[in-house]
Amino acid sequence: MSHVLGLGIAALGVGIGLGLIGYGALTGMSRQPEAIGKLQTPMLIALAFVELVFLLTVFVAPGSFIK
Amino acid sequence: MGEGLLSTTIASAKGGHTLSFLGLAVYFVLVLLIILATMAYARKGLDKRIFYNPITQCYEQLYLFIENMCVGIIGPHGRKYMPMILTFWLVIFLGNVVALFMPTSPTADLSFNLAMALVSIGYVQFEGIRTHGFWGHLRHFAGPSFGPGAFGFVLAIFISPVIFTIEVISEIMKNVSLSLRLFGNISGGHEAVLAMDKLGGEWVPIGAFLMPIKLLTCVVQALIFTLLTCVYISLVTQHEHDHGHHETEAAH
Repeated sequence: MSHVLGLGIAALGVGIGLGLIGYGALTGMSRQPEAIGKLQTPMLIALAFVELVFLLTVFVAPGSFIK
Repeated sequence: MGEGLLSTTIASAKGGHTLSFLGLAVYFVLVLLIILATMAYARKGLDKRIFYNPITQCYEQLYLFIENMCVGIIGPHGRKYMPMILTFWLVIFLGNVVALFMPTSPTADLSFNLAMALVSIGYVQFEGIRTHGFWGHLRHFAGPSFGPGAFGFVLAIFISPVIFTIEVISEIMKNVSLSLRLFGNISGGHEAVLAMDKLGGEWVPIGAFLMPIKLLTCVVQALIFTLLTCVYISLVTQHEHDHGHHETEAAH
C-alpha cells in the first residue's frame, strides 16, 4: 500500500512543478504577448523534463518492490 | 486473414495493447504506408502557382512549422537538418495517432521508441562529427579547455576525464530519457483508457472520452521528441560557431 502512496507523492510533486512552469510561462506571455513564440519552446522543454521525473518514478518503482 | 493477422499481432491478451514483433512490424509498415501515400498524393498539383490540394497545404504548413522550430533553436544553419527532423515528426506523430483508430500503436512499444532514440542520438553524433571532425567532437565531450600554464595543465589532466565520463554517460542517458518519455506517455494513455473502460462496465466505453486528450498527447509528444533532437543538435553544432565568432571578433 505504501508503494502506491509513494507514487501519489511523486505525482503531487510533478503536479506542483508543472503548475509552476505553466504559471511562469503564462505570466511572461501575458506581460509580453509578442514573446509567446519565444516562450513556448523553453516551456515545452521544461515540461518534458519535469514529466520525465514522474515517468522514471513510475517505471523504476515497480522494479523496487518486485523481489 | 485480417482477423487472424490482427490477433497474432497482439502478444498477450492482458491489457490487449502489447505487440509481438510481427505486430510491431505490421503497425510500422502501416505508418510508413500512410506517410508515403499522403506524400505521393501531395505531389499532385505542385506545378500550379497556388496549391489547391489540401494535403499539399497541410504538408506545407507542417514544413513551415518545423522549419520555424529548427531555425529558432539551432540557428540559421538549422535548415540543413530539416529532412531528419521532419521525418522524426511524421513517423512519431502518425505512430501515435494510429492508436486512435486501431487497438494499439507502434510507439506504445519500448523497443520501437528505443530504436527511434538511438537513431536520433546517433544522428546527433554524426552531425557533430561532420561539423567538427572526429577529434573535435570528442574534445567537445571533454569540457572547456583550461588556460595555459602548469595550473591549467594539471586541471586538464584531473578534471577533463571526469567531465568526459559524465558527458558520455549523459549522452547514453539521453537515449533512455527520449525513449522512456515517449513510451510512458503513449502507453500510459492506453492504460488510462483501459482503466476508464472498466468504470463503464460491459457496454459503455467511457475511455472514448479520453480520445481528445490522447490526440493532444500525440501532438505534444511528437513535438517534444523533435524539439529535444533539435536542442541536442544545437548543443553539438553550435560550439564551434560561437568559438569562431569570438576569434573573428578578436581578430578585428
